[in-house]
Amino acid sequence: MTEAARVAHVTCLGCGCACDDIVLTVRDGRIVDAERACPLGVAWFGDGRVPGAVQVDGRQAESRVALDAAAELLRGARGRLFVFLGDDLTCAAQRAALGIADRLGAVADGVVSETAADGILAAQRRGRAGATLGEVRNRADLVLYWAVDPDARYPRYRERYAGHPSALHLHHHARTVISVSVGADAGPPAADLHFELRPEREIAVLAELRARLLGRTLGDAAGWGAELTRLAERITRARYVAIVADGESASEERSSDRTEALIALAQALNGPARAALSTLRGGGNRSGAEAVMTWQTGFPFAVDFSRGYPRYQPEVRGAALFERRPFAAVLVAGAPASLPQAMRPAFDGVPTVVVGPRASEAPFPSRVAIDTGVAGIHDAGVALRMDDVPLPLRAAVSGPPSAAGVLERLAALLAGGAR
Amino acid sequence: MSASRLRIVGGTVYDPANGTDGQVRDVCIQDGRIVADVPHGTPTLDARGMVVMPGGVDIHSHLASSACNHGRRLLPEEHAADPAAAPELDPDVAPARSGTGGTLPSTFTTGYRYAGLGYTTVFDAAVAPITARHTHEEFDDTPIVDGGFFVLLGNDEYLLRQVEAGDRNRARDYAAWMIGATGAYAIKIVNAGGIQAWKSGQRNLTEIDEPLGSSRVTPRAILETLTDAANELRLPHPVHVHCNNLGAAGNVKTTMETMEALAGRRVHYTHLQFHCYGRNADGGWTSAADRVIDFVNSDRTVSVDVGQVMFGPATTLSADAPAEYLLQASSGRKWVNIDVELETGCGIVPYRYRERAAMSALQWAVGLELFLLSEDPWRVVLSTDHPNGGSFMSYPALIQLLMDRGARDAMLKRVNPRLLAGSVLADGLSREYTLNEIAIVTRAGPARVLGLRHKGHLGVGADADVTVYTRDSDIARMFATPRYVVKGGVLVVEEGRLRRAPAGRRLRLDPGYDAAVLRDVRRHFDAYATVEFENFPVRDLRDAPLEIG
Repeated sequence: MTEAARVAHVTCLGCGCACDDIVLTVRDGRIVDAERACPLGVAWFGDGRVPGAVQVDGRQAESRVALDAAAELLRGARGRLFVFLGDDLTCAAQRAALGIADRLGAVADGVVSETAADGILAAQRRGRAGATLGEVRNRADLVLYWAVDPDARYPRYRERYAGHPSALHLHHHARTVISVSVGADAGPPAADLHFELRPEREIAVLAELRARLLGRTLGDAAGWGAELTRLAERITRARYVAIVADGESASEERSSDRTEALIALAQALNGPARAALSTLRGGGNRSGAEAVMTWQTGFPFAVDFSRGYPRYQPEVRGAALFERRPFAAVLVAGAPASLPQAMRPAFDGVPTVVVGPRASEAPFPSRVAIDTGVAGIHDAGVALRMDDVPLPLRAAVSGPPSAAGVLERLAALLAGGAR
Repeated sequence: MSASRLRIVGGTVYDPANGTDGQVRDVCIQDGRIVADVPHGTPTLDARGMVVMPGGVDIHSHLASSACNHGRRLLPEEHAADPAAAPELDPDVAPARSGTGGTLPSTFTTGYRYAGLGYTTVFDAAVAPITARHTHEEFDDTPIVDGGFFVLLGNDEYLLRQVEAGDRNRARDYAAWMIGATGAYAIKIVNAGGIQAWKSGQRNLTEIDEPLGSSRVTPRAILETLTDAANELRLPHPVHVHCNNLGAAGNVKTTMETMEALAGRRVHYTHLQFHCYGRNADGGWTSAADRVIDFVNSDRTVSVDVGQVMFGPATTLSADAPAEYLLQASSGRKWVNIDVELETGCGIVPYRYRERAAMSALQWAVGLELFLLSEDPWRVVLSTDHPNGGSFMSYPALIQLLMDRGARDAMLKRVNPRLLAGSVLADGLSREYTLNEIAIVTRAGPARVLGLRHKGHLGVGADADVTVYTRDSDIARMFATPRYVVKGGVLVVEEGRLRRAPAGRRLRLDPGYDAAVLRDVRRHFDAYATVEFENFPVRDLRDAPLEIG
């Protein structure tokens, strides 16, 4: 047994918290310990071992051969192409994958369109009042959890960003925690004040709350009058309110209206006091995928390059993309496991290239599969935290070739094909 | 054509840094640099009868940052309205990328469009240190132009602590570390202390002696500390100052007090137009450009860029979050605010400057007054504070306003005159910029102010960034479609067609400092930051830092 190596200051992409204080212990090429990591983080790192296969039609192949086959398949496809932008990639790998989509005139989309699109669209209509997580930590004297308990899906959020004792601007002001539960979407049990709302009242209550804070009333507290007054009164006393909501809420029917109402509330609270909406986002580098798409195309997701330039198609995103007509070929850039469940049936019979972590273990048949490293475990680079703060990723364990490297080679092959 | 040698033949050369004002001569290029001569038989570009200038240098733009990307995300409607197909490049190079335009174009399109105007060097003027990695990633996707950025320090918590303690040496060492750790080129101050006040729920700081909590921390103290830090570090570009009280009626008082406070020091004041407003008896806006430009004319240590407003769409995007808060309140437009931990803020409001709007017309006039009353074009350089006063794509139209009094007067007749009564511009300014002066305010001047010795001129040893224009009585058309653009010796644009799109270089510094400061900075990080101290510096940056001194 060789000596264990310790790799410190590792960024974890187990959820959007992107805690960058993890210390990994690596022995014989395996991660044997992930110090400070939460259960999601421990699961994210695993033992750090991933397959390193390169396959064409299920058979092991030279990587050059596989890349040629992938390029030929994608270039030769007659009809619409789809490029899926995975979230377990570095920004560099996502940039290369999007370049391929552009080159091929493909439709490009990623995980955010299934999970967070409603929130992004609401912010495109209204803007937003936000903050990076350190502002929540150092300033928020009132943290209002709206229909989310971060402990389940964002386990260290409270410890790192909302519960810290040494806050720079909270010397004489204790932090008050308010927990609002909306139906089954429960706020955290540990809070100074608890409120409960029936889902059908939620939007009316948010609107009335905003009106009260602006010194008006809509007169519709949806039977929640006394509670509303109590909540509004407490919010009014705060200097800096952090409203924490789930940007990837499972309750889809409500999430669009909820997000827009929360954005409006957070914006309205600015002026006499300060406020920010802290939107919780899931794991991997999904904020990176959204950012890369935005800077390369002007749009955060659901981009169609088929006319030779990016077109925004937010109404036809995710699984809906496959409902109209089939794709002639698909490139999955990223782990196949990150594909939304709803998309998978659409892959049946479509020639598919997968480049990403555990590509060779895809739960659907692929013509070409090239395993790569995982962002932040084997691949160094950059990922964005849920608040868009960019963090370095370290290559803590050696693994298969980096996703960025493979995708850049594929992009170069496809570019060469133009001549 | 990827020849390492090139001769640009017979053009009329405007190279003010070398005293060349419209002389016909060849410009010779070898291995990406200007050389005295090249051998017979070298490939040529025929520039006979054309105007030859160094490549353009944009001293103040917002093009590659986390803040820009928040702006892009906010504006899908603008991007949908301005699709940009991939330009068809020469067949021997990797194909170009598609994108979208609007006031905040996608990154590849930004690079192509800047190059298409003959601009080859661009600085992003406002990057929060914690987001520096993002800026480098975007620059990697912004081809052709050489790029750098200014790092925001005027509201930084650690810096403010040093100001409070009166420890200027430590403040200087911290600033030096920050520049190197983020890969920045200069120090930026935005609304000194005012963003911190906004984040703390206090009133914005509109006067330079207003205290920020402690009486020792004032805009004046912050400005002095960082100005001296930049100068003691011998940074090629002095501190880049966005004054307090942006956009407010009567803010000329703040601006003049700031300039007087820093008089005699090397300072750059940015988008000065937004800081030159008087106040009439009704509390409304008036032009005070003449007072401010008088000061600039007389203090030779000062440089400025104008921040001209151009009619049409804009996106106001600034670390000056309290100013953006006021703008969204008055305009009712959609609004992004992001508080950036321990460092700064960010506000974004889409906007449109309208000829028929009195305030827009006043802002337009104030900018032109600064240009036309300037006595030293080397120190009063061209900018629109892209995309705040308008897109960089409006530079040709701005150049026309400066060179062509007829075009200017025609526009003056169209705009809302309500706030222009008694203004210098309305009274008539006959000055017309010469081509040599345009070469100064768009190239030689900004390069000199930035301390870029290899940019902005065509002397031997300079970077071979050259723009060739076809003479045209329509000045805007002339500057919108260069005949040739050469970047680093490579022909990138020919008659409006992009031919090659090589990667640009990163312009950054790594100043020396007393490393003793780091122990204290680490304590600050450990106590308050959400990013590990070890993870803060951006490593593995492209291109070596430029030498200082």
